[in-house]
Amino acid sequence: MKLEKLNPSVKMITVLVCVILLSVQYLVSLNVTVFLVSLFLLTFFSNARMKQVLTILIPAFIAAFGLFVTGLYYARGSSINVTELESLSAVPYAVRAAMSTNLYTAMQLSTRLLAYAGLGILFALSTDGEFFISSLMHQCHLPPRFAYGILAAIHLMPTMTREFSNVKLAFRTRGMRVHWYSLKPIFTMLVNSIRWSESVAMAMESKGFCGDAERTYYSVPKIHWYDLACSLGSIGAIVTGMLLLRY
Amino acid sequence: MDFQWKLKDILMIAVCAILFGIIFLGCTYAGGILYGILTPVGMPSLGYEPFYGVYFMAGAFGIYVMRKPGTGIVAEMLAAIIECLLGNYFGPIIILSGLVQGVGFELIFALKKYKKFDTATMVEGAVICSILTLIYNLIISGYNLIAVPVLALMLVVRIISAIVIDGFVTRILADRLAKAGVLKGYAIGQDTAQDLED
Repeated sequence: MKLEKLNPSVKMITVLVCVILLSVQYLVSLNVTVFLVSLFLLTFFSNARMKQVLTILIPAFIAAFGLFVTGLYYARGSSINVTELESLSAVPYAVRAAMSTNLYTAMQLSTRLLAYAGLGILFALSTDGEFFISSLMHQCHLPPRFAYGILAAIHLMPTMTREFSNVKLAFRTRGMRVHWYSLKPIFTMLVNSIRWSESVAMAMESKGFCGDAERTYYSVPKIHWYDLACSLGSIGAIVTGMLLLRY
Repeated sequence: MDFQWKLKDILMIAVCAILFGIIFLGCTYAGGILYGILTPVGMPSLGYEPFYGVYFMAGAFGIYVMRKPGTGIVAEMLAAIIECLLGNYFGPIIILSGLVQGVGFELIFALKKYKKFDTATMVEGAVICSILTLIYNLIISGYNLIAVPVLALMLVVRIISAIVIDGFVTRILADRLAKAGVLKGYAIGQDTAQDLED
């Protein structure tokens, strides 16, 4: 049983319910558990590659560390005096901070972000984009026009990148200096991309695509008993954690 | 929502949303530098705030170009779904934030009955959106554990960022795209055409 098989809409709603549940509690142990379980599930029950998981987690760790430091220095109802601390060296600061309630607040803030990131990547790395969109269409009633519009735009992306390097090259052949921060090539690329998007829309419609009429689908995602079981299981586990865990 | 989204509108917004998503990714790296500088004074999280306005770009662009009820919210949600597909570590949580941001930006336009689309209204939208997203952060991200003065500082930086990026940069971008003639089919394109005739 792979996570990829689960219905994406059910998975998405489960993740959102879990996030809302986690947002009303301040248990460090529960946050850490959610994060570790997410990683465990990704490692053993999905096709996600470990390297991909780690690359996507690095910015999450950096952001979590940022919140940790902010919490350590500026927790509400702080028990340490910041101005007093600045005159001290790093070691006593660490010692005193560790004794204070600030450390716990810092942990609460940073582990919550990690728990969210865990749930987020659990979804993002185990869900195929096209399966997700088609499930949004069938289970969440996303209009077909939006669904296929999003897919068409996503598939335009490689063309946009290629156009961007073409525009830069064209600028250079005309002797214009192009830096990484120059806005001109981005603007030209956007103008061309919007023109294409119009052509793509026209092409789709001239091939008979119409958002309103009845249509058939190559594959229709369904909700199975195991989707609901997994969903209820995860939500139940978090509620149990909220009731049983203390810190 | 009396605005009927045509396929070409969806594709136009989606293409722009992809670009905004990539710009945002670039800003995250720039934020990383500020983050490093701010860590010794204990406020690394503030490093991301100067770029917060980029989050609202899709909604601001959508409402400013199309000028119809719901366009800001739908544009922001579209951008969120795309962001989710491109592999953001927050996954579907982005869709929830997208809803808050879209509503936040469009609120002021709704209050003005979708009649005014000038710089002042865009700036007001940016301010309201910043406040609303910080309230969202207070509830969802647990920012209520952070001291009030730091939160106030975060809010101020976020508001300035939103005003600059959404009130001015996005608006200028849309105006220039209209001038380039690619937004002819939209409300903004028709207004620009009138200006040129005058």
